[in-house]
Amino acid sequence: MTSFTIGRRGALAAGLGAAGLVRAGGAHAFERDGSRKIFVFAGGQPVPVLDPHVRYDWSTRMIQQSVYDALAKYVNDPPQIVPWLAERWETNADQSVWTFHLVGNAKFHNGDPVDAEAVRYSFERGLRLNKGVAWMLKDALPPENIAAVDARTVRFTLTRPMPSFLTFMPLWFIVNPKQVQPNVQNNDYGEAWLTTNAAGSGPFRLRRFEPQSIIHMDAVPDYWKGWPMNDQQRLSGAILRIVREPAARRAMIQRGEVDMITEIPADDFELMRGMRGMRPADNKGMTTFAITMNTTKGPTADINVRKAIAHAFDYEALVQIHNGAATLMDSPFPDAIPGHVAVEGIPRRNLDRARQYLAQSRYPNGGFEIEYVHVQGLEDPRRIGLALLNSLQPLNIKVNIVAQPWPTMVARGAKAETAPDMVSVYVTPVSADPDVIASKYHSRAEGQYWGMHHLRDAQIDQWVDAARVEVDAGKRNALYANIQKRVVELQPEIFGMLANRRWIMRDYVRGFAYCPLRLTGEVDLYPVWVDAG
Amino acid sequence: MSLALQRPGFAARHAATLRQLRFYAWSFGRSPSSMLGLAIVLLFLALAAFGPWIVPYPGDGSGAMNLSNRLKAPSAAHWFGTDEMGNDLFSRVVLATRTSLWVGLTIVGVATLIGVPLGIAAGYFGGWVRMVIMRVTDIFLSVPGLVLALAIVAALGPGILNGVIALSLVWWPGYVRLVEAKALALRSEPFVEAARAVGAGHGRILALHILPNCTSPIIVKASMDMGLAILSAASLGFVGLGAKPPAPEWGAMISVARTYMPNWWWYAVFPGFAIYLTVLGFNLFGDGLRDILDPRSSRG
Amino acid sequence: MRAEVLRFVLKRVALTGLMLFGLVCITFTVSNVAPSDPAALAAGPDATRDMIETIRREYGLDRPLAEQFWRYVTGVLQGDLGRSIVTTRPVAEDLGRFFPATLELVLLSMTLGILVGVPAGMLSAMLKNRAPDHATRFLAVSLVALPAFWFGILLQLLFSVQLEWLPTSGRLEVSTAPPPTFTGMLLLDSLLAGQWATFGDALAHAVLPALVLSFPCLASILRVNRAEMIEVLASDYVTAARAHGVSPFRVVCVHALRNAMLPTLAIIGLRWGWMLGSTVLVETVFDWPGIGLYAVSSAIAGDFKPVMGVTLLIGLNFMIASLVVDLLYGVLDPRLRTAS
Repeated sequence: MTSFTIGRRGALAAGLGAAGLVRAGGAHAFERDGSRKIFVFAGGQPVPVLDPHVRYDWSTRMIQQSVYDALAKYVNDPPQIVPWLAERWETNADQSVWTFHLVGNAKFHNGDPVDAEAVRYSFERGLRLNKGVAWMLKDALPPENIAAVDARTVRFTLTRPMPSFLTFMPLWFIVNPKQVQPNVQNNDYGEAWLTTNAAGSGPFRLRRFEPQSIIHMDAVPDYWKGWPMNDQQRLSGAILRIVREPAARRAMIQRGEVDMITEIPADDFELMRGMRGMRPADNKGMTTFAITMNTTKGPTADINVRKAIAHAFDYEALVQIHNGAATLMDSPFPDAIPGHVAVEGIPRRNLDRARQYLAQSRYPNGGFEIEYVHVQGLEDPRRIGLALLNSLQPLNIKVNIVAQPWPTMVARGAKAETAPDMVSVYVTPVSADPDVIASKYHSRAEGQYWGMHHLRDAQIDQWVDAARVEVDAGKRNALYANIQKRVVELQPEIFGMLANRRWIMRDYVRGFAYCPLRLTGEVDLYPVWVDAG
Repeated sequence: MSLALQRPGFAARHAATLRQLRFYAWSFGRSPSSMLGLAIVLLFLALAAFGPWIVPYPGDGSGAMNLSNRLKAPSAAHWFGTDEMGNDLFSRVVLATRTSLWVGLTIVGVATLIGVPLGIAAGYFGGWVRMVIMRVTDIFLSVPGLVLALAIVAALGPGILNGVIALSLVWWPGYVRLVEAKALALRSEPFVEAARAVGAGHGRILALHILPNCTSPIIVKASMDMGLAILSAASLGFVGLGAKPPAPEWGAMISVARTYMPNWWWYAVFPGFAIYLTVLGFNLFGDGLRDILDPRSSRG
Repeated sequence: MRAEVLRFVLKRVALTGLMLFGLVCITFTVSNVAPSDPAALAAGPDATRDMIETIRREYGLDRPLAEQFWRYVTGVLQGDLGRSIVTTRPVAEDLGRFFPATLELVLLSMTLGILVGVPAGMLSAMLKNRAPDHATRFLAVSLVALPAFWFGILLQLLFSVQLEWLPTSGRLEVSTAPPPTFTGMLLLDSLLAGQWATFGDALAHAVLPALVLSFPCLASILRVNRAEMIEVLASDYVTAARAHGVSPFRVVCVHALRNAMLPTLAIIGLRWGWMLGSTVLVETVFDWPGIGLYAVSSAIAGDFKPVMGVTLLIGLNFMIASLVVDLLYGVLDPRLRTAS
């Protein structure tokens, strides 16, 4: 590969002598490779592990989604599942056997066909590694129950009915066993190799992979599924730049060094949205923010204290901290999840009611301190902590705001005795499956970070278990409605908000399509192109 | 009754000491940079002492919130502007002097309390005592304090107290080195030999002869270290391992403020300038002290 | 004579080994004082307990602490610093990737420190107690007092964001292909490969962080050189040289400069490990992918093996540097040679 040339401000100006010549705002701010363009995206999160069965977070998924394909794909808002490597599928009456029929023309980047064996291998690999995506299917799908019926048919025989099976299919990427097998070391299913290499069939292939700073991908010209734009418009490639500082990312898009950025502080977004040459994308997200309360220990074990806190909390501050780019939750479920109902009487700030609840508790006059823990390094939860501190002053409750590294927080929260009084928790649903959200309030959630409330309620447990195997959508939704109401009643957490997902792109970027089921900053690069001379 | 002998006045009894002090003051006053240092240090101490009574919005140091007033530019009402929670930055910057003073004093104090006795012991006793103490000291000296402190605070969790513990743990070795060399030299001085010859115990010799003769370099180092300790604590704050909110602390303020640069420049500029001034003040002051107390070592 | 030097070196190497062991003890203790579950980090937010358990087994975190310690120590002896739970790669490998970047920064800033500090110190001495002397001395104290992280941000905003003369962060433009790797130091590699454009780009990226990093070092060099020079100027041989009609300029440049070499060298030796450590802040500000940024991001994430690795690496560097300084002192200063 030759190195590509640059058609704009020129890194050469970077030579100190010519430094003064570098100017922003040129019409040709994108990278070029011959007649085609390279799309440059900047975010703050590195991609340490590319293996699609081992890790996922927004930046990792963005690259995985580009270099790999799955049987199906999430697109659009509201989200839909569309066929991808599988052209169609069917299931039996109780939704415990799922059969997928593959397209005939899909090829891996090295030319091997994407066949049923590759699909079987990939699912088996994911389950046996027992990392990353494994939790989605592991309790219903033993690895030996995956069968490659013929070259284009795969059958999954589950141990229980699983109406949500399909919702996970877009998240299981297919790797090429013929490329992985030669790189297996010590029975690791090629994990070490796939950490920095790819063996996929996706629209892009890896060109340069520097996990902490830059990931450069080339578009596959003859991608098996074709491209949505016409051929002259197709990108030559895409680059993910890891730029940790929001201020630096903003400077870069203003200078035209990058075409699109994410993880933008609310105030920056306000500032940039009106600038010439910038196009904002501002969409309602699916990531729930809640402050869980330890229901087994300390003052928050008392439901009246929990209710008092929930009614004293300043919900408007949540929205203000995001400059209005957030929606308050009207249920424990985010509203894009099937089965969501707005629960009546979900707490809003009402100091009188808060005082009434507190009066019924063991601490009628407050006078205690609670610990509020958030993940070290995150700004919004810190500010929300300050809002909490302010909100609870009228109740004479003190708040100790503590930042801890994720592993420490999880280690503490795993046990009811050591779990903090309050923890700020973001949960991003990875699929459109309500079971995942409902399970947050099941006793099983103990040990998960969202289970730091340690709620134990036989009624909820029973409903969750029934709903996950209920094939009839009507009955299932009724169960989920019950669960939502019951959870609000028990108040194991302060139900917070759904923050908007936001990007800023240069106005020549085309094809960006929002889909709430992607992770926070993730962008599907497949339909993106650059419209400028 | 015999006439009560007129006791000599204070001035007369301490004439020599006073003369010495006057000389110190005179030579200190002759250096404009030392005086500038002194002025800054005094201002800093005054702000730390009286801060809560002179700032316009004392509540802003303990987590008041005024979201409608956020990120306002400097004005008559808010000299340094306001931060992202709508707090008055002038109040927070001033209130943070107390945190910084406490941090500096504790770190330097703990470091002296650990380092000086160890250094004296090592220098005075020599032999294996010195061997063990100095090797352990060297290990700590071999890692830049900030890296080790970073690890300690990351493990303990952020917070000023943890930062102070971490920095104190990495700060003492410098004092061991300093005092050890001095004590080693003093050990064979005639007056120490003489004291030993008349049968003075180790404790007495250490307290009366060795320690007093080490004080000048200790004072000089301590005053220089005040600034550096404040700077180090601010550095921890900057990487996100500083004071717990809502406590005001300069490093933590800059850490938050950097995302607001350059459009809301005042947020980062004023706390940073406060750090700079404070550290500068203590350094100039320490420099001046060194010139008069310990003139031979005024290099490097 | 040579046997003596050899014995000295051997003794120091043994001591260094002992001190490294001490460091391992300290860092291991530090990283285990708080209850923490690093495996949860690698497993991801949605992982079930048994998935976390899988990772814990894989990293040996399920073993008793004593065993973990033993494994770590024996590993370190074989050059194995454990695995980072975030990057999943061996820490030694990560350090190999990130260290050259830090090295490049430190070398560049030391060069800056010497180039500015030595002449400024000399000038200051020659104009002792005159205005330029006061100015330089004040500057020296100022540079130490400047919070590097804060001043770095200000410079970045001025030169990168407002004036747009220099790039914001990182080591190279996206569009600049990195030079073939010999040392991992982009400046050196691009020179070796003769790629001038790449060199310019790399230099433009490095100049601000190197400048900020050089301040404390520059201040020390300046002070030492000033003090040394004042002594030299007052010395007999300078008076003698002057008396023999050697021009003052020549006296200063030749004699004094030679004399300034030793203390400057000592400062560099002493500052070496220290500067490697202080890159922590500068690398964070400038997004410079070196060991400092690696240590900070790992520490904040609660991933301690990399922090331990960085600490050991810097400690080792410090020890080697002081050994080298001691040896060079012996070579360069004949007085010391006979004394020992």
